[in-house]
Amino acid sequence: MDTLLAILTIFAQPELLLLVGAGTFAGIYIGAIPGLSVTMAVSILISFTFSWDVYPAISLMVGIYMGGVYGGSRTAILLNIPGAPSAIATAMDGYPMAQRGEAGQAIGVTTVMSFFGGLVGILVLALAAPFVADFALTFQPRDYMLLAVLGILLVGSLSTGSLVKGIFAGAFGIAVGAVGRDPLTFAERFTFDLQLMEGGISFIAVMIGMFGVSEALLQLQNVNLKSVRQKIDRIVPSFGTIRKYLPLSLQTSSIGVIIGALPGTGGDIAALMAYDHAKRVTKNPKVPFGKGAMEGLVAPETANNAAVGGAFIPMMTLGIPGDAVTAIMIGALFIHGLNPGPMLMIDRPDMFWFIVGALLTANVFMLIFGLTGIKIFTKIVEMPRSVIIPLILLLSIVGAYAVNNRVSDVYWMLGFGVFGYFMRHYGYPLGPVILGVILSRLLDDNWRRAIISEREDLGRFFEGIVTSPLSLVLFVAVILIFVSQTPLWTALKIRLFRKATS
Amino acid sequence: MDPEFRGDSDHHDGTSDATPGGYAEGRRPGELGFALILTVASLYLLYSAYGISGFTALSGPGAVPMATTFVMVMAAGIVALRTWRLPRITTETLSRDILPRVVILFIGFLIVFGLLLKPLGFVTTAALFLTLAIKVLARRGWGYTLAVAFGSLIVIWIVFRVVFTVLLPAGILPEAEFIQFFRTFLSGGAS
Amino acid sequence: MSRKLIGALVALGLGASVATAQDYPTKEIQGIIQWGAGGSTDTVMRSVTPHAEDALGGTIVMQNMTGAVGAIALNHVASAPADGYTLLMGAENPMLYKIMGLGDKDYSEFVPINILARGTPILVANNEAPFDDYAGMMAYIAENPGELRIGSTGPGGVPSVITAMMNTVEGDLDVIAVPYDGDGPALTALQGGAIDVMPAVLGAAIEGIRAGTMKPLVLFDTQASDKLPDVPAVTSFNEDYATYLPWGPFFGVFVPKGTPDDVVAKLSDAYAKGAEHPDFVNLMDNRGFTMMGISGDEAEAFLTKWQQGTAWLLHDAGLTKASPEEFGIARPGE
Repeated sequence: MDTLLAILTIFAQPELLLLVGAGTFAGIYIGAIPGLSVTMAVSILISFTFSWDVYPAISLMVGIYMGGVYGGSRTAILLNIPGAPSAIATAMDGYPMAQRGEAGQAIGVTTVMSFFGGLVGILVLALAAPFVADFALTFQPRDYMLLAVLGILLVGSLSTGSLVKGIFAGAFGIAVGAVGRDPLTFAERFTFDLQLMEGGISFIAVMIGMFGVSEALLQLQNVNLKSVRQKIDRIVPSFGTIRKYLPLSLQTSSIGVIIGALPGTGGDIAALMAYDHAKRVTKNPKVPFGKGAMEGLVAPETANNAAVGGAFIPMMTLGIPGDAVTAIMIGALFIHGLNPGPMLMIDRPDMFWFIVGALLTANVFMLIFGLTGIKIFTKIVEMPRSVIIPLILLLSIVGAYAVNNRVSDVYWMLGFGVFGYFMRHYGYPLGPVILGVILSRLLDDNWRRAIISEREDLGRFFEGIVTSPLSLVLFVAVILIFVSQTPLWTALKIRLFRKATS
Repeated sequence: MDPEFRGDSDHHDGTSDATPGGYAEGRRPGELGFALILTVASLYLLYSAYGISGFTALSGPGAVPMATTFVMVMAAGIVALRTWRLPRITTETLSRDILPRVVILFIGFLIVFGLLLKPLGFVTTAALFLTLAIKVLARRGWGYTLAVAFGSLIVIWIVFRVVFTVLLPAGILPEAEFIQFFRTFLSGGAS
Repeated sequence: MSRKLIGALVALGLGASVATAQDYPTKEIQGIIQWGAGGSTDTVMRSVTPHAEDALGGTIVMQNMTGAVGAIALNHVASAPADGYTLLMGAENPMLYKIMGLGDKDYSEFVPINILARGTPILVANNEAPFDDYAGMMAYIAENPGELRIGSTGPGGVPSVITAMMNTVEGDLDVIAVPYDGDGPALTALQGGAIDVMPAVLGAAIEGIRAGTMKPLVLFDTQASDKLPDVPAVTSFNEDYATYLPWGPFFGVFVPKGTPDDVVAKLSDAYAKGAEHPDFVNLMDNRGFTMMGISGDEAEAFLTKWQQGTAWLLHDAGLTKASPEEFGIARPGE
């Protein structure tokens, strides 16, 4: 009964309801603008809500978080520029839809599926938080490493062009992620003794450059082209459509919750893994992946919103942040006089249920705002390109600067923009580069931790993998996916297929 | 068609898809040069990665960089070799299809933007950039150009500088004084 | 256009007429936080600064500037004009940049506004670890050389100093140091069993200890803390630690050297008032930090002493890139 009351606190106080709503609304725009990130917004809110009570402050933050993760999909679909890292996979099938004038439909499906994913995440948080948290804790460095390897194998499904070019792009991304002072030993890597390089290359700067600037430069060539008129009559997807994607969205939501709950991995990796999963399990998509397949929208969007609920699991049960945003929220709880940690659930269960309630409300607001504001948003793509291209370039510059307040990130962003422009022209896929940068630290740090823990002994390292059930499952998955991607397997499949038909 | 090529053969220029362009059975102008540059750069990075910690330990800070740059060298080499074997596409030229004048101009704009950002400050540089860029692209009167450029700049400035307190380089404009002036003005009015 | 020009001129005039320190602050102050959002430096600074703002009557805009173990933020503020409009909000580690080969600047280029608080290191262990106290751990290390996995956060971090202290006092210990990028992730790994022991700051571990998800071994101080009265001080096991203790990481606000004295005085005053605010005191107490709130000569003396002790400890343990002597850091007691 107390539980229910705590969940309903938010409805009893119209002021809280309003704050969650305002936060969600603002979050959608923050997420949509490349360079404005939820992390940034929430950390500013700490100072802003300093003198407030803890409930209103958390309400606003939760709203922004939920809205922001969803908002990233907007610009990904409309402009091919993901507004947030978790929307990278969304661009791959969302943008082709917008080019056919189906942006409204794409946004509609995205919104409903984000809502669904968010709901699954919250349900798991509410019903199974301690269990999932214990599971997340059992991940050892070698498991994180295997998870990163699994992620890197996604290069195969992200490389829509030549696979070798994709492998190059992925390796390049990992190298980019290693630039700067190594966080574990402080050794300089790829810095060429330049102070500019010491801080490393911000992953957001790479993303904004590769997707934003290179896209804008490409668009320059057809600046006078008439923009595609968007049909906006069929926004809310039919019940049949939703039911059709229900099995897939349940699977991808589970991927989202688990990846979100793991400390150190968040919605960006979850979305990419879910996209890969969708590509693997969908046998006959109506439209091929990469050309506007609905499954390609459903998977990443359910996963990244499910990851929100997932990220709260270790935060609420153990006081361990699931990602950057929850890390700041832990700071906010401290400032407001609470002690986030394993005792929070016992000392202040109302706080836990209040957050569950706020997340639920934010999720509903996301659905409402997502389905109603589409008209204005689609107008963006109908703006003259002569105005929108300079604005994209300017926003990219501000956005890259805002990440760390460093001018060097602006230079990197511009450099990657021009490089990405050539890559696009010559058929090198950009997705793997971003994937590599995202996974670089996860792979590198955990490989080293794992091998140091085993005293540099490869034998002991493999023994560890074979004796731990979790590591073994991950290892087998890595092997299977790797084999399925090599030419050998394709050749074998063709031979088998021929035999079967003849 | 090449089974290796899983791309989109309709949109080979990369503009119409989230996936990359390029042809499967032809070499675009400059493509071989690009592949060769990548190979050479990868080799240099491999050398640089070796310099981090050499072959001292599996856990060394240079272990993963060496492995990944080695993959880069191999992949770039294979790509360069394959590109070299492909016939050149005769219908395209570098200056028309890959690097038209407007793209070079904009890359120039961006470089100048980067250089002026610190000394002139964000607001001044952005105003110059937006005005020039819109003028070049829209080819309309100064009234329209200035109105659009300054209108959007003000919105961006308010969102980033005032709401999100991103401390963009101030340069020659006394931005911080300006904001404080309004802040005191507002709080003075309120109290 | 001319209206804009007039606006700019007015603002310029405003800036010029109020440039004297008397009216400081006339514009926004930038506070550069050396570490990322959500970290302990970030939390401390974001919770004390609003109180300091009230006392100062100005606005302090805080920004996180991360990278290169905080050296990027330090260099940024060091090269900013010394007018009191750019503050550095940092932790203890810049004092070790020089000997660690991480940079050529440290807090000697700055004037301390306020050293807010100090943390106390504590040694915690995974619940499954086959020992329950410091003596037990030492016996375990002696019996199982090279088996104990101890968390670290890179050279110069709190764990590396504590490990150096243990090596100096107890003789070289054969353990595996597994690096993490911060004590948060390392404590997570501790709970999952990836490492056995972690020297952490009391504030970071206290909630876990209270909830029983990790067990405290020993407090690195000369006396037990009133937060955890049952955890013995390390000096009760080995008196030799007293040479180096009390020791701990600290948080402080700094401005570049050359900032006008009255500006420094105003800022010091504001932060001293801010640090006394009951909300802040409460927060720090809850997290197990020891309030310091020192400034001026007292702070300078504290910094010098801290640097000497830590630098030589690390150097004697063979963990430094360059000798403290090269930078004129005297051996303590000389």
